Amino acid sequence: MDKPDLNLAAIRDQWVGVEFDWTTFEMTAPNMVAWAVACGEMDPRFIDPTHADFQAHPGFTTHCMSGRVFPKDFPQIGGGFGVDGGKKVEVHAPIRAGDTLTATTTIADIFDKTGRSGTMIFIVQRMEFRNESGHLVSTVDWKMIKKAD
Amino acid sequence: MQFRDVELGDDLPEETPDVSMPTVTAFCEAAKHVFERFIDHEAARKEGFPSAIVPGIMSQGLLAAMIHRWAPGCTIREIDTVFRGALLVDSHVTMTGAVTDLNEDDLSVELDLAIIAEDGRTGVIGTAQVTFEQ
Repeated sequence: MDKPDLNLAAIRDQWVGVEFDWTTFEMTAPNMVAWAVACGEMDPRFIDPTHADFQAHPGFTTHCMSGRVFPKDFPQIGGGFGVDGGKKVEVHAPIRAGDTLTATTTIADIFDKTGRSGTMIFIVQRMEFRNESGHLVSTVDWKMIKKAD
Repeated sequence: MQFRDVELGDDLPEETPDVSMPTVTAFCEAAKHVFERFIDHEAARKEGFPSAIVPGIMSQGLLAAMIHRWAPGCTIREIDTVFRGALLVDSHVTMTGAVTDLNEDDLSVELDLAIIAEDGRTGVIGTAQVTFEQ
């Protein structure tokens, strides 16, 4: 039987770094405030649109979903759709109300780990968000976990 | 809280965030993330959950807000969370954090983060990189 990591190596070589989706998102003050308030935020930078440094909460872009989960013709690996294993957000610059962000989506990594519950495959989808000036403001890595068999 | 006040190993004050149904519903609407498993206990049970669950992205936001309360005015440069298990809506969950590294060159600290479910399970673990103003 093939070892999952042997197959994954080929898939990784072919797909990691491939851009497969481009989407725009409007950043609105009401949604930015509602998000921060629901998270219990009290810092006026995130909940007061009249604040001079008003900006989106650090993880605000995590709700922005690309049009596709995988690139066209991406192979079926692992079982089922997978579960959300977590998100990493890098904040490069403040996101302001009224910004229109353009997100580019790539497959950032594919790897497996073996533990008590067997081998799990991790597929990392990366979205990079740029504002109208072309400045990178946020990077979100979404770790999707699938069972290997 | 300023950078000079922070020491390696410091614990952030434990917090019990609001994960009640009205608050989670408000989050889901703001996030355009309105799925029944988050906002309807019965529907979540039909999907196999014990009850409605807190969205993973909300748990990350709860931790970010905790960091801002600990160090007002700080900037979160990176926050990385791993969703290990379900946190239930309308339950009592506890957020913790600890300082694991300091960098005097750029006035930044690294934090370990966690959210513990009411039954003691660890629902979320994570890390954050935070910078302080001069």
